Amino acid sequence: MSLARFLIKRLLQGVFVVWGVVTIVFGLRVIAPGDPANVLLPPDVAPEVREQVIADLGLDEPLYVQYWDFITGIAAGVPEGLFNILTGEPAGPMGLGTSLTTGTSVASRVGRSLPATLELAIAATIVAVVIAIPLGVISATRRHQPADYGATLFSLAGISTPNFWLGVMLIIVLSVQLNLFPTSQRAIGIPGVFDLLVSGQIVAAAEGLRTWLWYITLPAITLGTYFTALITRLTRSGMLDELGKTYVRASRAKGLPETLVRYKHVLRNTLIPIITVVGLQLGTLIGGAVITEFVFDWPGLGQVLINSINSRDWPMVQGSLIVIAVGFVVVNIVVDTLYTLVNPRVGFD
Amino acid sequence: MPENGTDRRGFLKYAGGAAVTASLAGCLGGGDGGDGTDTPADTEAEETEDGGGGEETDTGDGGEELPDFPVTITQGNMPSGLDPHDHRETPTDVVMLHAYEGLITRDAAGAAQPALATDWSRVDGEDAAEFQTRSDVTFHNGDTFVAGDAAYSINRIVDPDTGFASPQSDQLAGVSGASAPDDSTVRVTLDGLNPIVFSEFATYCDIMQQSWVEERSKSEIGQQMNGTGAFQLDSYTQDEQVVMTRYEEYWDDPAEVSELTFTAASESSTRVNQLLQGETDIIVNVPPQEVNRVNNSDAGSVSAAPSTRILYNGMRYDVEPFSSQEFRQALNYAIDLESIVSNVLGGFGAQTGQPTLPEFVGHNPDVDPYPYDPDEAERLIDESGHAGVEIELNTPVGRYLKDLEIAQAVAGYIDELPNVSASVNQRDFGSLTDELLTGNIEDKPPWFLIGWGEATFEGALVMTALLSTDGALSTWSNEEFDSLLETAGNSTGDERVSALQEANALANEQAPWIFLNQQFSVYGVSNRVSWEPRSDERIDAYAMSQA
Repeated sequence: MSLARFLIKRLLQGVFVVWGVVTIVFGLRVIAPGDPANVLLPPDVAPEVREQVIADLGLDEPLYVQYWDFITGIAAGVPEGLFNILTGEPAGPMGLGTSLTTGTSVASRVGRSLPATLELAIAATIVAVVIAIPLGVISATRRHQPADYGATLFSLAGISTPNFWLGVMLIIVLSVQLNLFPTSQRAIGIPGVFDLLVSGQIVAAAEGLRTWLWYITLPAITLGTYFTALITRLTRSGMLDELGKTYVRASRAKGLPETLVRYKHVLRNTLIPIITVVGLQLGTLIGGAVITEFVFDWPGLGQVLINSINSRDWPMVQGSLIVIAVGFVVVNIVVDTLYTLVNPRVGFD
Repeated sequence: MPENGTDRRGFLKYAGGAAVTASLAGCLGGGDGGDGTDTPADTEAEETEDGGGGEETDTGDGGEELPDFPVTITQGNMPSGLDPHDHRETPTDVVMLHAYEGLITRDAAGAAQPALATDWSRVDGEDAAEFQTRSDVTFHNGDTFVAGDAAYSINRIVDPDTGFASPQSDQLAGVSGASAPDDSTVRVTLDGLNPIVFSEFATYCDIMQQSWVEERSKSEIGQQMNGTGAFQLDSYTQDEQVVMTRYEEYWDDPAEVSELTFTAASESSTRVNQLLQGETDIIVNVPPQEVNRVNNSDAGSVSAAPSTRILYNGMRYDVEPFSSQEFRQALNYAIDLESIVSNVLGGFGAQTGQPTLPEFVGHNPDVDPYPYDPDEAERLIDESGHAGVEIELNTPVGRYLKDLEIAQAVAGYIDELPNVSASVNQRDFGSLTDELLTGNIEDKPPWFLIGWGEATFEGALVMTALLSTDGALSTWSNEEFDSLLETAGNSTGDERVSALQEANALANEQAPWIFLNQQFSVYGVSNRVSWEPRSDERIDAYAMSQA
């Protein structure tokens, strides 16, 4: 199968998945308790006003009509919405809708939070990869030695530690007691740094980048810990698998230096499946950042999602979920494509 | 520690500067096509840096006369927008009150005080009231405030014909419209006597400038500010922060606080950590278990004030066993409210025995909370004929200070009685309020925990909403009680107060609720700031000074 056909096939599958998510999201709104009209109206409002609001929101229509309006609205709005998300501009009425509580465009709100979440997910991935791969290699090459036990212990602790607890502990110890990091929030984002750079303020941009790093360190560690532990384990077992294969023995027999065997051949083959996991996990991190964002008051999609759920701001909930789902699908397609490109043994089928 | 805060502010300004440059470039680039009315560039400038220029003015004129004293306030939620007439939430109100003012305001004790009006009175022989306004007031854009602006603002709230449906119309209940016979008089027309009209104006109705509002779209009004208050908007990033600066031309003395930043963190431990680290100066809703951590730190301390919110257990008078007065009284005797307040709430609460709180008009000082008397409770239950019944308390979780724990304590005490068993049903707040708000008593759960805040300090409004036969949340009906409220609604002065006090005594005796606690507002306050919390949940930076 050619690359083009492969991409078309995967894109169609992606659209199908997004449609499924959108349908589930719609279903959730229908079964969730809490009337959106109560969000907008004071308790003692006249019944006719309440009815008017419900009619304005289209909530008095039969479910299939609501569903059709919802789907067609998104289908018409997604191209525009995506464009707005990318440019950060406010969307029109056909975008992802308007927030019930603030009356502003969902697409632009989601668009403004998306960079914060992406930054966090990518930073957590970098933390994980930078720590996990060397740790996994050390663990595999010094099997049953203290270093291996140490790495195993670290992975176990990492996998078993709940995110929110780790986050709160890091804040209490490193921020409040030792005063090394800020406790929460995000003073400046990568787009802000980029703006500074574009406008020629090089020194300010460098300072901005430092501030960004200073603010993102603890959330990135919190979010990345589980992932670090996972990749350490994967690298270790993958490496051990590879080390036991015939080509390794052949290479050694040929007299290749051990470092070359380990790092050029074995590690390279080990990394192929890890790329897939890293890619897939990046998608998970975008969705899974919710708790970390909550603890660190990080202004990303997770915060938007939680606040919107609390206020029953359904258009906002739907908008955030759809963007998270689309992100997941896109990451998946990219990973699959890269995987097939990197590993010639896997074809486009 | 303050270094962190400065750093953060510094970078927000850097980032802001870049956005201004970018948007300027945008305007210049599109200059040959028009005059910069291009929405994207404009919106960006407004959203992030409305007051890039304001900052310059700040340092340009008078920056040296007054001390540099920035303060940050962290609430649980950000404002839903910046239109003072288009919201119903306290966190939004707290931001609004710094930029917008009403005709009358309240002091920390709740008493009405002059604001934009210096004098107010009923107009004899007519269903109307008149306000005399100040002449030396300017809006933040430099224009002079006139009575017409106040009349317009009142109409914007109560009159749908202005093209704007304000969710606050019922907060000015009984007000039908306003006009300005001259530049310093506002005449408000009323549906009837409306004994609480000045209480309403002391709490609600922020004054906006008519021309400023009319020149702007709904979304622009929600993103910008132009009031007469002691602080003017510097920048607004929706859902992230609001920055205001001292308004030097304020009609009263300028504020001591030079820059005021509002941020939000919905997780209470995050707020506490921010305070301890010196990243913020005032935080709301410190949970009782965090109080010691704050008080034992060098960063600040906890400060509490009784709020205007009352918590109670409503009971439906139309279903058994709650239809029995003896049974309802028995539940009040069964709980040790004193112990709940001191142990569950850590002392951050006050016992109640009537629907009207002590700070409110109509409170009856002779009515005490029910004492803890399990023997009397057991006897009354036997007498009611409902011995052996099983009841279930519906409670929201996390909506009020320790709501679930209070509910568990209440159900626990009642369950200890030998002749009744009680349990707790944890509910989603949204679905519980849906059931309470339908207007049909049959839709409501028979026994529930809920809270009600009333910023006007009027007991009559609480009792009408919660206990009158047609009240929005009512689960009780009593003819004598209704007629007392009616008497109060048609009278003023002592006659009105004594009718309300009688209604409170009747409510205590009839026990339509299990009377619980008055909620306290618990704040964490940095050592840098000297500030006393208020009953009405207003965090007023104008009253803050350097400690």
